[in-house]
Amino acid sequence: MKRLNKSIFLSILVSIGLALSILESSIPLPITIPGARLGLSNMVVLITLIMFGFREGLVVSSLKSIVLMLITGSISSFIYSFSGAIISCIGMYVVYEYFSRVFSLIGVSIFGALFHNFAQVTIASFMMNNMRIYTYLPFLMITSIFTGYFVGLSSTFIIKNLKKVLIFY
Amino acid sequence: MTKGDKVLIVVVVILTLLSLGFIKRQAFSNENKFVSIQVNGKEIKKVIFDKKIIGKKIPIQSKYGFNLIEIDDEKVRVIEADCPDKIDVKQGYISKIGETIICLPNRMVVEIKGVKKGDAIDIMNH
Repeated sequence: MKRLNKSIFLSILVSIGLALSILESSIPLPITIPGARLGLSNMVVLITLIMFGFREGLVVSSLKSIVLMLITGSISSFIYSFSGAIISCIGMYVVYEYFSRVFSLIGVSIFGALFHNFAQVTIASFMMNNMRIYTYLPFLMITSIFTGYFVGLSSTFIIKNLKKVLIFY
Repeated sequence: MTKGDKVLIVVVVILTLLSLGFIKRQAFSNENKFVSIQVNGKEIKKVIFDKKIIGKKIPIQSKYGFNLIEIDDEKVRVIEADCPDKIDVKQGYISKIGETIICLPNRMVVEIKGVKKGDAIDIMNH
């Protein structure tokens, strides 16, 4: 029964992440930097990492980008989002596990956004054989501070309430 | 928000400013410039800025998609694209060496490159 509960909860988290990614693509950003996103679905990965653990977080983030590819149908953006999701998940886990005394969830999620952007830019420069794409990285780093801050702040509140609900896990 | 978070934000901002400064300094380091148009990493067209070709439109048709590039006075922009988000069109003009317009869906890169002085032979006398 516990196993079933857990898998149902994880699949609900995946579907919330998908809904958030579709929702955020319809929110216009004031700046046009390729690859700059709000990263709302990163919230789901962060919550899964903290409530369940590393393996579950990796499963949720990779499932999210695979199903998102099936919905939107663009394979080129799947390569970017998949590599970004995996690397940001690993990075956030390492920071949360070993440096949680130094950084709160806000710092963890800023690290996640930084890793995500770095992976995407690296993959893009490999795909197009052009190192100049790294000149976008400073702009992406600035945006990842803001998005990471808000994602971390909202995750703190969500986790505080979820801990009351999920006593039996 | 702990002290570590604040330190992290400050460090990232400083790193960003430093790298922006570095990119800008590199961009101003040489004089003669030309437009290099690349598709999928291969340079398919080179255009040297000239007063005669102001307003010239270059269509780029590849198996990844279509882009229309307009050359202006020492600057260049993309005016038409068939990619879904049109980020390359919204970006507008680029003019400095090292600046790029990138269209990820069509794998197209418009880059302004500089010819370094002393790199090639200017005049030969016999």
